[in-house]
Amino acid sequence: MSGFGGVLPWARRTLVEKDKILTSEEFSAILGICQIVPGPNIMNLAVCVGSRFAGARGAFAAVLGLSIGPILLVLLLAVLYDHYSYLDSVKGILRGISAVGVGLIASTGLKMMRDEFQYPAMLLVVVITIVAASYFHLGLGWVVLIASPFALFLAWIKAHKV
Amino acid sequence: MSILLSLFLKLSAFSLVAFGGVSALLPDLLDLAVYQERWIDLQTFSDYFAIAQAAPGPNFMTVTLLGWHLYGVIGAFLATFAIAWPSSILIFYLQRLLLGIKDPLKKQAIQYAAAALAIGLVLSSAWEIALQINHGVAAYVLTIFTILFTTFTRWHPLYLIVLGAIIGSMGLI
Repeated sequence: MSGFGGVLPWARRTLVEKDKILTSEEFSAILGICQIVPGPNIMNLAVCVGSRFAGARGAFAAVLGLSIGPILLVLLLAVLYDHYSYLDSVKGILRGISAVGVGLIASTGLKMMRDEFQYPAMLLVVVITIVAASYFHLGLGWVVLIASPFALFLAWIKAHKV
Repeated sequence: MSILLSLFLKLSAFSLVAFGGVSALLPDLLDLAVYQERWIDLQTFSDYFAIAQAAPGPNFMTVTLLGWHLYGVIGAFLATFAIAWPSSILIFYLQRLLLGIKDPLKKQAIQYAAAALAIGLVLSSAWEIALQINHGVAAYVLTIFTILFTTFTRWHPLYLIVLGAIIGSMGLI
Protein backbone atom coordinates (compact mmCIF):
# COMPACT_ATOMS: atom_id res chain seq x y z
CA MET A 1 0.00 0.00 0.00
CA SER A 2 1.86 3.01 -1.22
CA GLY A 3 0.86 6.67 -0.97
CA PHE A 4 -1.35 6.56 -4.01
CA GLY A 5 -2.13 2.97 -3.25
CA GLY A 6 -0.44 2.21 -6.45
CA VAL A 7 3.14 1.08 -6.91
CA LEU A 8 2.28 -2.62 -7.07
CA PRO A 9 -0.57 -2.45 -9.61
CA TRP A 10 1.57 -0.10 -11.63
CA ALA A 11 4.52 -2.51 -11.51
CA ARG A 12 2.27 -5.33 -12.66
CA ARG A 13 0.89 -3.28 -15.54
CA THR A 14 4.31 -2.24 -16.75
CA LEU A 15 6.16 -5.53 -16.33
CA VAL A 16 3.44 -7.97 -17.32
CA GLU A 17 1.00 -6.20 -19.61
CA LYS A 18 3.01 -3.55 -21.40
CA ASP A 19 6.61 -4.68 -21.63
CA LYS A 20 5.85 -8.41 -21.28
CA ILE A 21 9.05 -8.90 -19.29
CA LEU A 22 7.35 -11.39 -16.98
CA THR A 23 4.35 -13.64 -17.32
CA SER A 24 1.48 -13.12 -14.92
CA GLU A 25 2.39 -16.34 -13.06
CA GLU A 26 6.02 -15.32 -12.72
CA PHE A 27 4.96 -11.96 -11.35
CA SER A 28 2.68 -13.57 -8.77
CA ALA A 29 5.36 -16.05 -7.72
CA ILE A 30 7.90 -13.29 -7.26
CA LEU A 31 5.41 -11.13 -5.41
CA GLY A 32 4.60 -14.04 -3.10
CA ILE A 33 8.26 -14.37 -2.21
CA CYS A 34 8.64 -10.64 -1.62
CA GLN A 35 5.83 -10.76 0.88
CA ILE A 36 7.48 -13.62 2.76
CA VAL A 37 10.69 -11.76 3.32
CA PRO A 38 10.74 -8.83 5.76
CA GLY A 39 11.57 -5.29 4.64
CA PRO A 40 9.96 -2.82 2.25
CA ASN A 41 7.89 -5.02 -0.11
CA ILE A 42 8.34 -2.87 -3.14
CA MET A 43 12.11 -2.74 -2.70
CA ASN A 44 12.16 -6.52 -2.45
CA LEU A 45 10.18 -6.72 -5.66
CA ALA A 46 12.67 -4.43 -7.34
CA VAL A 47 15.56 -6.63 -6.17
CA CYS A 48 13.88 -9.78 -7.50
CA VAL A 49 12.92 -8.37 -10.87
CA GLY A 50 16.17 -6.46 -11.34
CA SER A 51 18.42 -9.38 -10.41
CA ARG A 52 16.55 -11.69 -12.77
CA PHE A 53 17.77 -9.67 -15.73
CA ALA A 54 21.12 -8.28 -14.71
CA GLY A 55 22.19 -9.92 -11.47
CA ALA A 56 23.27 -7.76 -8.58
CA ARG A 57 23.73 -4.73 -10.81
CA GLY A 58 20.20 -5.10 -12.13
CA ALA A 59 18.86 -5.32 -8.60
CA PHE A 60 20.76 -2.21 -7.64
CA ALA A 61 19.56 -0.29 -10.68
CA ALA A 62 15.95 -1.32 -10.07
CA VAL A 63 16.05 -0.22 -6.44
CA LEU A 64 17.62 3.12 -7.32
CA GLY A 65 15.23 3.71 -10.20
CA LEU A 66 12.27 3.01 -8.01
CA SER A 67 13.26 5.10 -5.03
CA ILE A 68 15.13 8.20 -6.21
CA GLY A 69 12.13 10.00 -7.71
CA PRO A 70 9.77 9.48 -4.77
CA ILE A 71 12.52 10.38 -2.29
CA LEU A 72 13.22 13.69 -4.03
CA LEU A 73 9.50 14.44 -4.19
CA VAL A 74 8.93 13.70 -0.53
CA LEU A 75 11.93 15.87 0.38
CA LEU A 76 10.35 18.70 -1.56
CA LEU A 77 7.21 18.21 0.53
CA ALA A 78 9.39 18.20 3.65
CA VAL A 79 10.82 21.60 2.71
CA LEU A 80 7.30 22.95 2.19
CA TYR A 81 6.34 21.46 5.54
CA ASP A 82 9.21 23.25 7.27
CA HIS A 83 7.93 26.56 5.87
CA TYR A 84 4.20 26.16 6.36
CA SER A 85 3.68 23.76 9.25
CA TYR A 86 2.84 26.65 11.58
CA LEU A 87 -0.42 27.28 9.68
CA ASP A 88 -3.50 25.89 11.38
CA SER A 89 -4.95 24.71 8.09
CA VAL A 90 -1.79 22.74 7.28
CA LYS A 91 -1.86 21.15 10.73
CA GLY A 92 -5.50 20.22 10.22
CA ILE A 93 -4.87 18.76 6.76
CA LEU A 94 -2.06 16.58 8.10
CA ARG A 95 -4.20 15.39 11.02
CA GLY A 96 -6.95 14.45 8.60
CA ILE A 97 -4.57 12.59 6.29
CA SER A 98 -2.91 10.69 9.12
CA ALA A 99 -6.29 9.52 10.44
CA VAL A 100 -7.07 8.20 6.95
CA GLY A 101 -3.56 6.72 6.66
CA VAL A 102 -4.03 4.64 9.80
CA GLY A 103 -7.30 3.36 8.40
CA LEU A 104 -5.60 2.39 5.15
CA ILE A 105 -2.99 0.36 7.01
CA ALA A 106 -5.69 -1.38 9.04
CA SER A 107 -7.67 -2.25 5.95
CA THR A 108 -4.58 -3.69 4.26
CA GLY A 109 -4.30 -6.05 7.21
CA LEU A 110 -8.01 -6.84 7.19
CA LYS A 111 -8.02 -7.60 3.47
CA MET A 112 -5.12 -10.01 3.90
CA MET A 113 -7.01 -11.63 6.77
CA ARG A 114 -9.91 -12.66 4.53
CA ASP A 115 -7.80 -15.48 3.13
CA GLU A 116 -7.19 -16.85 6.60
CA PHE A 117 -10.77 -17.91 7.16
CA GLN A 118 -10.31 -21.01 5.02
CA TYR A 119 -8.25 -22.36 7.91
CA PRO A 120 -9.33 -20.36 10.98
CA ALA A 121 -6.72 -21.92 13.30
CA MET A 122 -4.23 -19.70 11.52
CA LEU A 123 -5.97 -16.73 13.11
CA LEU A 124 -4.38 -17.87 16.37
CA VAL A 125 -1.04 -16.68 14.98
CA VAL A 126 -2.58 -13.32 14.19
CA VAL A 127 -3.94 -13.10 17.75
CA ILE A 128 -0.61 -14.09 19.31
CA THR A 129 1.16 -11.48 17.23
CA ILE A 130 -1.27 -8.73 18.14
CA VAL A 131 -1.21 -9.59 21.86
CA ALA A 132 2.60 -9.73 21.94
CA ALA A 133 2.95 -6.45 20.07
CA SER A 134 0.05 -4.37 21.37
CA TYR A 135 -0.61 -5.75 24.86
CA PHE A 136 2.86 -6.69 26.03
CA HIS A 137 4.50 -4.00 23.87
CA LEU A 138 7.30 -6.29 22.80
CA GLY A 139 9.63 -5.07 20.08
CA LEU A 140 9.17 -6.27 16.53
CA GLY A 141 12.08 -8.72 16.74
CA TRP A 142 10.69 -10.46 19.83
CA VAL A 143 7.20 -10.64 18.38
CA VAL A 144 8.51 -12.33 15.25
CA LEU A 145 10.64 -14.69 17.32
CA ILE A 146 7.73 -15.74 19.54
CA ALA A 147 5.07 -16.00 16.86
CA SER A 148 7.02 -17.66 14.06
CA PRO A 149 7.19 -21.20 15.56
CA PHE A 150 3.38 -21.17 15.91
CA ALA A 151 3.07 -19.70 12.45
CA LEU A 152 5.26 -22.36 10.83
CA PHE A 153 3.60 -25.21 12.72
CA LEU A 154 0.05 -24.15 11.85
CA ALA A 155 1.05 -23.25 8.30
CA TRP A 156 2.45 -26.75 7.83
CA ILE A 157 -0.87 -28.27 8.89
CA LYS A 158 -2.81 -25.79 6.77
CA ALA A 159 -0.71 -26.59 3.69
CA HIS A 160 -1.61 -30.26 4.08
CA LYS A 161 -5.30 -29.58 4.60
CA VAL A 162 -6.25 -26.87 2.16
CA MET B 1 27.92 11.80 13.20
CA SER B 2 26.96 9.49 16.05
CA ILE B 3 23.30 10.23 15.31
CA LEU B 4 23.82 9.08 11.73
CA LEU B 5 25.53 5.89 12.86
CA SER B 6 22.87 5.10 15.42
CA LEU B 7 20.10 5.82 12.89
CA PHE B 8 21.79 3.56 10.38
CA LEU B 9 22.33 0.64 12.76
CA LYS B 10 18.86 0.71 14.29
CA LEU B 11 17.02 1.00 10.99
CA SER B 12 19.16 -1.77 9.53
CA ALA B 13 18.10 -4.06 12.36
CA PHE B 14 14.43 -3.17 11.78
CA SER B 15 14.75 -4.13 8.15
CA LEU B 16 15.23 -7.80 8.96
CA VAL B 17 12.19 -8.17 11.21
CA ALA B 18 9.72 -6.03 9.28
CA PHE B 19 7.36 -8.76 8.11
CA GLY B 20 4.47 -6.99 6.47
CA GLY B 21 6.67 -4.19 5.21
CA VAL B 22 7.30 -0.76 6.63
CA SER B 23 3.70 -0.31 7.85
CA ALA B 24 4.35 -3.07 10.35
CA LEU B 25 7.35 -1.42 11.92
CA LEU B 26 5.86 2.07 12.33
CA PRO B 27 5.10 1.61 16.07
CA ASP B 28 8.66 0.48 16.75
CA LEU B 29 9.96 3.36 14.67
CA LEU B 30 7.79 5.80 16.60
CA ASP B 31 8.86 4.36 19.93
CA LEU B 32 12.53 4.57 18.97
CA ALA B 33 12.45 8.03 17.43
CA VAL B 34 10.03 9.77 19.80
CA TYR B 35 10.43 8.11 23.21
CA GLN B 36 13.82 6.41 23.34
CA GLU B 37 16.15 8.59 21.30
CA ARG B 38 14.03 11.75 21.36
CA TRP B 39 15.05 12.50 17.81
CA ILE B 40 11.69 14.00 16.98
CA ASP B 41 8.48 14.98 18.78
CA LEU B 42 5.24 13.06 18.41
CA GLN B 43 3.52 15.80 16.43
CA THR B 44 6.29 15.99 13.83
CA PHE B 45 6.34 12.20 13.54
CA SER B 46 2.57 12.18 12.92
CA ASP B 47 2.95 14.93 10.34
CA TYR B 48 5.71 13.01 8.56
CA PHE B 49 3.52 9.93 8.58
CA ALA B 50 0.76 11.99 6.92
CA ILE B 51 3.13 13.43 4.31
CA ALA B 52 4.44 9.94 3.52
CA GLN B 53 0.88 8.69 3.08
CA ALA B 54 -0.08 11.55 0.81
CA ALA B 55 3.02 11.43 -1.39
CA PRO B 56 3.04 9.06 -4.33
CA GLY B 57 5.59 6.28 -4.15
CA PRO B 58 6.57 3.48 -1.82
CA ASN B 59 5.36 3.62 1.76
CA PHE B 60 8.73 3.71 3.49
CA MET B 61 8.81 7.50 3.20
CA THR B 62 8.19 8.05 6.92
CA VAL B 63 11.66 6.59 7.38
CA THR B 64 13.09 8.89 4.71
CA LEU B 65 11.54 11.93 6.39
CA LEU B 66 12.89 10.92 9.78
CA GLY B 67 16.36 10.83 8.24
CA TRP B 68 15.73 14.24 6.68
CA HIS B 69 14.73 15.64 10.06
CA LEU B 70 17.97 14.43 11.65
CA TYR B 71 20.54 15.12 8.98
CA GLY B 72 19.08 16.76 5.89
CA VAL B 73 19.44 15.17 2.49
CA ILE B 74 22.25 12.86 3.63
CA GLY B 75 20.12 11.65 6.52
CA ALA B 76 17.17 11.03 4.21
CA PHE B 77 19.16 8.85 1.83
CA LEU B 78 21.02 7.10 4.62
CA ALA B 79 17.79 6.23 6.45
CA THR B 80 16.20 4.89 3.27
CA PHE B 81 19.31 2.87 2.49
CA ALA B 82 19.43 1.49 6.04
CA ILE B 83 15.84 0.27 5.97
CA ALA B 84 16.31 -1.42 2.61
CA TRP B 85 19.77 -2.97 2.38
CA PRO B 86 19.55 -5.90 4.81
CA SER B 87 16.25 -7.17 3.46
CA SER B 88 17.37 -6.54 -0.12
CA ILE B 89 20.45 -8.69 0.34
CA LEU B 90 18.38 -11.32 2.12
CA ILE B 91 15.89 -11.59 -0.72
CA PHE B 92 18.62 -11.46 -3.35
CA TYR B 93 19.96 -14.74 -2.03
CA LEU B 94 16.69 -16.23 -0.84
CA GLN B 95 14.71 -15.82 -4.05
CA ARG B 96 16.49 -18.60 -5.90
CA LEU B 97 16.22 -20.83 -2.89
CA LEU B 98 12.50 -20.15 -2.46
CA LEU B 99 11.61 -20.31 -6.15
CA GLY B 100 13.57 -23.55 -6.30
CA ILE B 101 11.63 -25.34 -3.56
CA LYS B 102 10.13 -28.27 -5.39
CA ASP B 103 7.78 -29.45 -2.65
CA PRO B 104 4.65 -27.32 -3.14
CA LEU B 105 3.48 -28.06 0.41
CA LYS B 106 6.67 -26.65 1.90
CA LYS B 107 6.38 -23.59 -0.29
CA GLN B 108 2.74 -23.10 0.68
CA ALA B 109 3.54 -23.53 4.37
CA ILE B 110 6.24 -20.87 4.29
CA GLN B 111 3.91 -18.51 2.49
CA TYR B 112 1.03 -19.11 4.91
CA ALA B 113 3.29 -18.60 7.92
CA ALA B 114 4.70 -15.33 6.62
CA ALA B 115 1.25 -14.07 5.68
CA ALA B 116 -0.15 -14.75 9.14
CA LEU B 117 2.78 -12.97 10.78
CA ALA B 118 2.38 -10.02 8.44
CA ILE B 119 -1.35 -9.72 9.13
CA GLY B 120 -0.83 -9.69 12.88
CA LEU B 121 1.97 -7.14 12.68
CA VAL B 122 0.13 -4.84 10.28
CA LEU B 123 -3.08 -4.88 12.34
CA SER B 124 -1.35 -4.25 15.65
CA SER B 125 0.67 -1.53 13.96
CA ALA B 126 -2.50 0.21 12.82
CA TRP B 127 -3.92 -0.08 16.32
CA GLU B 128 -0.85 1.32 18.07
CA ILE B 129 -0.31 4.12 15.58
CA ALA B 130 -3.97 5.10 15.92
CA LEU B 131 -3.58 5.34 19.70
CA GLN B 132 -0.56 7.60 19.29
CA ILE B 133 -1.60 9.94 16.54
CA ASN B 134 -5.38 10.10 16.60
CA HIS B 135 -6.52 12.80 18.97
CA GLY B 136 -10.20 12.95 19.70
CA VAL B 137 -13.31 11.19 18.53
CA ALA B 138 -13.42 12.80 15.09
CA ALA B 139 -10.05 11.28 14.10
CA TYR B 140 -11.20 7.80 15.10
CA VAL B 141 -14.45 8.25 13.21
CA LEU B 142 -12.46 9.16 10.11
CA THR B 143 -10.17 6.14 10.58
CA ILE B 144 -13.12 3.76 10.97
CA PHE B 145 -14.86 5.36 8.01
CA THR B 146 -11.71 4.75 5.94
CA ILE B 147 -11.61 1.09 6.96
CA LEU B 148 -15.27 0.60 6.06
CA PHE B 149 -14.92 2.36 2.74
CA THR B 150 -11.83 0.49 1.63
CA THR B 151 -13.35 -2.81 2.75
CA PHE B 152 -16.76 -2.44 1.14
CA THR B 153 -16.11 -0.26 -1.88
CA ARG B 154 -13.44 -0.14 -4.56
CA TRP B 155 -12.63 3.52 -4.04
CA HIS B 156 -9.08 4.50 -4.80
CA PRO B 157 -7.29 5.35 -1.52
CA LEU B 158 -6.31 8.72 -2.97
CA TYR B 159 -9.94 9.91 -2.75
CA LEU B 160 -9.98 9.08 0.95
CA ILE B 161 -6.69 10.91 1.50
CA VAL B 162 -8.13 13.98 -0.25
CA LEU B 163 -11.29 13.66 1.83
CA GLY B 164 -9.19 13.46 5.01
CA ALA B 165 -7.27 16.57 3.94
CA ILE B 166 -10.49 18.50 3.29
CA ILE B 167 -12.09 17.50 6.57
CA GLY B 168 -8.84 18.30 8.36
CA SER B 169 -8.47 21.71 6.72
CA MET B 170 -11.88 22.69 8.05
CA GLY B 171 -10.51 22.14 11.53
CA LEU B 172 -12.80 19.23 12.30
CA ILE B 173 -10.11 16.72 13.35
